[in-house]
Amino acid sequence: MTVIAVLSPKGGVGKTTVAVNLGCALAKAGRPVRLLDMDPQNAVRLHLGADLSDVSGHVHQTLKQESWHYAEYDSDYGVSFIPYGKVSEIERISLESQLVTTPDWLHDNLISLDHEPGLCVIIDTPPGPSIYVQQVLSVANLVLVVMIPDAGSYATLSAIEGLLEYYCASRNDFYGSYYVLNQYDAAVPLNRDIQSVMQNTLNERLAPACIHRDTSLSEALAFQQPVLQYAPHSQAADDLAQLTSWLQVLLNRIPK
Amino acid sequence: MSSTRPTEAKETAKNSAIFPARVWQSGRYKFGKLNEYTTALIEWYGWEHTYWRIAIMIVIGLLYWFSMTFSLSLPMQAVYGAIVFFVALYLRRYAGTLFTLIMIVFSINQSSRYLYWRVNETLVLDNWVDGFFGVVLLLAELYAWLVLVLGYAQTIWPLRRKPEPMPTDITVWPTVDIFIPTYNEPLKVVRSTVLAALAIDWPKEKLNICILDDGRRDEFREFAQSVGVTYLTRSDNMHAKAGNINRALTQTTGEYVAIFDCDHIPARSFLQLTMGWFLRDPNLAMLQTPHHFLSPDPFERNLGTFRRVPNEGELFYGLIQDGNDLWNATFFCGSCAVMRRTALLDVGGVAVETVTEDAHTALKMHRKGYNTAYISIPQAAGLATESLSAHVGQRIRWARGMAQIFRLDNPMLGKGLSLMQRLCYSNAMLHFFYGLPRMIFLLAPLSYMFFQAHIINAEALAIAAYALPHLAHANLTNSRIQGAYRHSFWAELYESTLAWYIFRPTLLALIKPKEGKFNVTAKGGLIKEEFLDWQISAPYLTMLTLNVAGLLIGFVRLFWWNSFEAQTVMLNMMWTVYNLVILGATMAVATEARQIRGAHRVNCNQKAVLKLENGRTIVCRATDYSEGGLGLVMPESEMVPLKSDVHVTLYLGKREFVFPASVVFARASIIGLEFEGLNLQQQMDLVQCTLARADAWLEATETQNIDRPMSGLKEIMQQSRKGLEHLSHFFMLSVKRRSYRDTPHIKKERGLLYHVLLNKDISSDALKEIFKRRLDIAGNIARSLLVTRGKGRKQAEKHPVN
Repeated sequence: MTVIAVLSPKGGVGKTTVAVNLGCALAKAGRPVRLLDMDPQNAVRLHLGADLSDVSGHVHQTLKQESWHYAEYDSDYGVSFIPYGKVSEIERISLESQLVTTPDWLHDNLISLDHEPGLCVIIDTPPGPSIYVQQVLSVANLVLVVMIPDAGSYATLSAIEGLLEYYCASRNDFYGSYYVLNQYDAAVPLNRDIQSVMQNTLNERLAPACIHRDTSLSEALAFQQPVLQYAPHSQAADDLAQLTSWLQVLLNRIPK
Repeated sequence: MSSTRPTEAKETAKNSAIFPARVWQSGRYKFGKLNEYTTALIEWYGWEHTYWRIAIMIVIGLLYWFSMTFSLSLPMQAVYGAIVFFVALYLRRYAGTLFTLIMIVFSINQSSRYLYWRVNETLVLDNWVDGFFGVVLLLAELYAWLVLVLGYAQTIWPLRRKPEPMPTDITVWPTVDIFIPTYNEPLKVVRSTVLAALAIDWPKEKLNICILDDGRRDEFREFAQSVGVTYLTRSDNMHAKAGNINRALTQTTGEYVAIFDCDHIPARSFLQLTMGWFLRDPNLAMLQTPHHFLSPDPFERNLGTFRRVPNEGELFYGLIQDGNDLWNATFFCGSCAVMRRTALLDVGGVAVETVTEDAHTALKMHRKGYNTAYISIPQAAGLATESLSAHVGQRIRWARGMAQIFRLDNPMLGKGLSLMQRLCYSNAMLHFFYGLPRMIFLLAPLSYMFFQAHIINAEALAIAAYALPHLAHANLTNSRIQGAYRHSFWAELYESTLAWYIFRPTLLALIKPKEGKFNVTAKGGLIKEEFLDWQISAPYLTMLTLNVAGLLIGFVRLFWWNSFEAQTVMLNMMWTVYNLVILGATMAVATEARQIRGAHRVNCNQKAVLKLENGRTIVCRATDYSEGGLGLVMPESEMVPLKSDVHVTLYLGKREFVFPASVVFARASIIGLEFEGLNLQQQMDLVQCTLARADAWLEATETQNIDRPMSGLKEIMQQSRKGLEHLSHFFMLSVKRRSYRDTPHIKKERGLLYHVLLNKDISSDALKEIFKRRLDIAGNIARSLLVTRGKGRKQAEKHPVN
């Protein structure tokens, strides 16, 4: 089992979109994929055509002290997913306080689930540092940081690096953190500049392809489909395909 | 002259062992015993000692004379020829230059032996008819032998010079003037060249781009101002392009001058790749790079061989100039070159005495002891001549100019040249005298058919026993040396097509070098319907008719008149048939294929992304581009509305560029874009992404077939059949004066196109055929269909039906 954490320094950069679409693309390429939603926004399920009336998620299981197994759903797109669950404020606070005292909560729950060989668990996280990110980073084997090419995103780079340094760098089952640029538009000079600055700072830690600003992505969400399904010939789908083959190379490098 | 040069040159040549186009894969032929022996031979100390060398030269000379002159009985000669040929066939399997050299020695030896026998035993001067035709043929054969030997000397060891890196300190980089001479070419042609020149990577303050307008056009002056380049003009047009450049030399000051014809678009790396050698060798006066063409020339278009068979120019730019470079004899070709200003002024500017001012300027530089260099990496590209008549006109100018130099400033005479420089220049000039000998070969057997002249006075089998080794070795050796740049037997076609046209001007230039103009008028523009250019093919039709008549008479002679010398008749008939094959192929060249679009379209195959008005994006492929336009093939099921405004992204390496455009054509999966409202930077970027893409030029030769002597002959025969079909078709057409009717193969093609457009079931082989033959929209449709089919098959394999 390989755990990929998808992070972002701030909200609205399309982190959930990237996580879900990459997961579906990986599954299409033949890899078993499980998506885990750690974001209280509970948005992963929206991308995968889930039944909107079904509000259960792993939070309920945790609070009921039952296995996550019953919170896992199958989708039509080759991936299974575990939603966060629609919860009341009281439920959320009680979970988060529970997490403070059980730092191995995520680890234990992931282990308890059955997993196929080669399984890839992609975890969507809430933006910025939080108790969830703390737990996720303690189990992640790979980290993908989603950024958008603007100055605000770029300014948070050092904060994210500090977080990664603290939770991941010393673990020997950690295989690196990488950056993905989303909502890139080559026609905007600032986008190009930030891209080249990041290229120079991060070198090969910046993913070889950006995800371009593309209406297909938001339209796909409206249709509750991954973009590969909804608009297979779109630029975003093409970018995701390139990212997927790059990610495959990274995954294959991890010793079994 | 720089003393370092020859040794440097040899080292470079040694390091880049030249492998022929096809080398047998087995290790034995790369590293086997024979290779070890020859390496030991090369490293033998005796080569360094003068006495040893003289002794060896004498022994080799004697051996050579003996092997050329010793007489054998007819059967023994046949056996001897066969043995030598089989040894050459075996040696051909080994890689490396030394084996090429051995094969060259065999070839020269066998050809010399043949000619020795011809001169001594087959010439009969006792009757007028035999004597006259015999001597004429022999002279033509001697010319062919001379050009063969000089050709071997010229291309014996191509230098393959690598670019010299520039110093990292930019302040020492020299100043360069870029000259773009133009006379009457439209602005849209010159425009791309200037935009590409603006993007050349060189310190801006050290680069001065000049449009040299001999047409005194305000339009050009305004364009130059708007993009910030220098505009130069003059009040007269003395000495045409040469005079234009010379005038500009007086108005500029750069240390170096780079010259581009106005339709040669430079790559941005041009100066960085070429200037290094000038800094390394202070005596270097001129550095030439190849002329690369983005569109098919008339041969390639009319024969359908674009990117499949090397074109006429590839031998020169791929091999001969590289061969010249070893002997410090590379010459200037008028464009895509850099010259040192001091050296150019030292020889009095660009030469004005002849119509090939470029080669003559280089000759003058060499006479003054300057060096020249060649880098065989395309660094500029342009469009080829549009029609056969324009192509012929250009070749006439070259031939006439070279003959003028040969007469006025003969490289064998005068001061300052090394022996090999003299030989290289002589070959370059003698080469253009092929017109008359080529026609003699095309008509020679007729002297027997018509006049019963025994031009080679020997029995047919003896002729075969001597001539076959000569021809076979020449073809085998040249296939090894030139195969990658010219396929076997194609020289016959290229030369035969031009022979008649260059024979008159070269002859006249020899007699009266300063007079005479022979220019076939160019019929520019669109070729709407396929047609046979009767005007240009008239001489070949005449020769074709004569050869057909000769063949018919041959039958009469074979069975009735000359049945007592049936072998001789048959030999002459075989020769006539060979000539008919070559002449038939020239007919195929003269049939101008249709050009569908007005503007030149350059084929490409690169990724593009279309962004529609509503923000949706489609990844597609760009398949061709032209001035201000781009053709795209969409993935299946993606519809793009006509006349909508879109943005298209093109890639240059990892960098991407976005251009606004509008959809002006949309049918099935093919759409056409027109760019509009691009600012200067975008225009420059667009040229970089399309016409000035140096990475695409390098791949151009990758699709070429590998040369095999027999397949070269087969291809020529197929072309010939096509040509004769065309001929009979257009002949019938003009006799009956009926309305236009399709030839059978066009009919078939049109039927296929109809099916393709309707997406009917059609075999992939047929699609491939269309794709190969058609450069226009039908080819694009065929390609897109092939691509989608390929995908469908892959998907079917992935998800088998249960």
